[in-house]
Amino acid sequence: MAKILVIDDNADLLQMVRMLLEQRGGHEVILSAEGEDGIAKALANPPDLAIVDVMMPGMTGYEVCKRLRKEPSTAEMPIIILTARGQPVDREAALAAGANEYLAKPVTMAQLLERVNALLAQAPARGAGGLSGVVALVSLRGGVGVTTLAVNLSLFLTQQAPERVCLVDLCPSSGHAALQLGLRPDPNWAGLALLPTVPGEAVVRAALLVHATRLHLLAAPFVPVVGGGLPADKVRATLAVLRRDFGTVVVDLPSVLTEGTMAALEAADLIGVVTAADQPTIQTTLGTLQALKTWVGKVRLILNQPTPGTAPALEALQRVLKQPFAGAVPFDPAQARALAQGKPLVMSDPNSPLAQGIARVAAGWSGAATVE
Amino acid sequence: MQEVLQTGWLAGDFFSHSYRISAQVDVRRRTLYELLNDPMTAFLPLEDAYVSSIDRPGDISAAYPASYLAKSNLSLVLVPQRDDVVPRQQTYGAYAGAYLQRVFLTVPSLEVEGYLRLSARVDLRRILSLENESFIAVLDARVRASLRPDVVFTGGGILVNKRHIGVFCLIEEQ
Repeated sequence: MAKILVIDDNADLLQMVRMLLEQRGGHEVILSAEGEDGIAKALANPPDLAIVDVMMPGMTGYEVCKRLRKEPSTAEMPIIILTARGQPVDREAALAAGANEYLAKPVTMAQLLERVNALLAQAPARGAGGLSGVVALVSLRGGVGVTTLAVNLSLFLTQQAPERVCLVDLCPSSGHAALQLGLRPDPNWAGLALLPTVPGEAVVRAALLVHATRLHLLAAPFVPVVGGGLPADKVRATLAVLRRDFGTVVVDLPSVLTEGTMAALEAADLIGVVTAADQPTIQTTLGTLQALKTWVGKVRLILNQPTPGTAPALEALQRVLKQPFAGAVPFDPAQARALAQGKPLVMSDPNSPLAQGIARVAAGWSGAATVE
Repeated sequence: MQEVLQTGWLAGDFFSHSYRISAQVDVRRRTLYELLNDPMTAFLPLEDAYVSSIDRPGDISAAYPASYLAKSNLSLVLVPQRDDVVPRQQTYGAYAGAYLQRVFLTVPSLEVEGYLRLSARVDLRRILSLENESFIAVLDARVRASLRPDVVFTGGGILVNKRHIGVFCLIEEQ
């Protein structure tokens, strides 16, 4: 099932296309009757494909196409121009504006559905390494390696798509993402927390650090913050900006369900619940899955082995947790050195067990995120 | 039968001497042919008109939600489907014995090639001068900008304003 945005000022046609795409195509459909509104909807919740009419009041479909192509989160999104202006010169104008496909009205339902499905099949995954949108990693038990996974996953995705990934460390008690990347956490989100209003684009962008690999980082403050950390409204606003600017946003969440954590979980397209094989962590994970049952459709379990020992019995753990693992990352003795040097293993030793495990997790998640 | 996404509004390209206007016409009660050939009205109401210069027909220079087009200034109207331009009595197979005559004609800034659907021997004088209709249907039409031969418009049919025709030629099929 794909998410498809349809922008057309003809209300009858919008409803017909929605019925076609939902009932026959099995897709999720977002409707918009005019260009500005359509662009806003696309940026707030980037679809997998957009169908855009040319002739609309206020803004033509060509202008909509050009604007969507300028935004990082929709730059690669397939766009079909569906228009009554059906001449060769119009086709040229549509393609010049950035459309992938051009269909002249009247179009048969079969033709439209066929082109939609064909474009979706051809489309490369929009985000880095196939993961797009906001990916939140969480464990309500500390010490299971959430930050290590978040940092290495972000670097792995950055290798696939430089400049398209941002890592956000929302831990209020001296988060370690910057440390693992060998960066000084200045600036960080403390400045955003102190603002009297929700942060705008410029403020969020100014708070980012850039790693040598071109991974962007919104670091946590070095000095622990009193209270729950970044407030919920600011988390939402910050993630909305980052979602627009980057194809993929990886969020390293603290091990406590603050309002800010809940806001990030709500905004996430995919939630990775990180667990380990020891009894206390299993118990916490069972509770975590219960707490997150509202978002069961986007929760994925990931098994990390942060300490040496025999590999855990996956099948037995899955039976206990009543959910399959979307990936498993083995213990890697080189991780301690990587942490001390500020050079994560994905970057310094891509063949290491941990780096290989991260690659498998990313591959498994991208499949889950894009094929579902 | 194929299901087509249609809404009771007909979208077409309306050409005057200098402009291409892409717009919609309400055809729920009367066909485009009837609307254009109605001698009681001088203007054609259009909705969502998008205006392009005939020199740059792919660029939209202006848009108007409602407008009225002087039918006398209209050279031709191009629509995607044949059935949208033929008279109602010709649309349902009642025209047994009809044949298609290939024609070439010019209107200001444009050259047109296509087919007339005729029932009897060609009588150009009758077609161009005597019949009451101001607009005649040309099927499977190909319209070329006179000064920019690379700009071509095609459609299932066009309705040509007879008063704008400069040259009208019959083409013998090989």
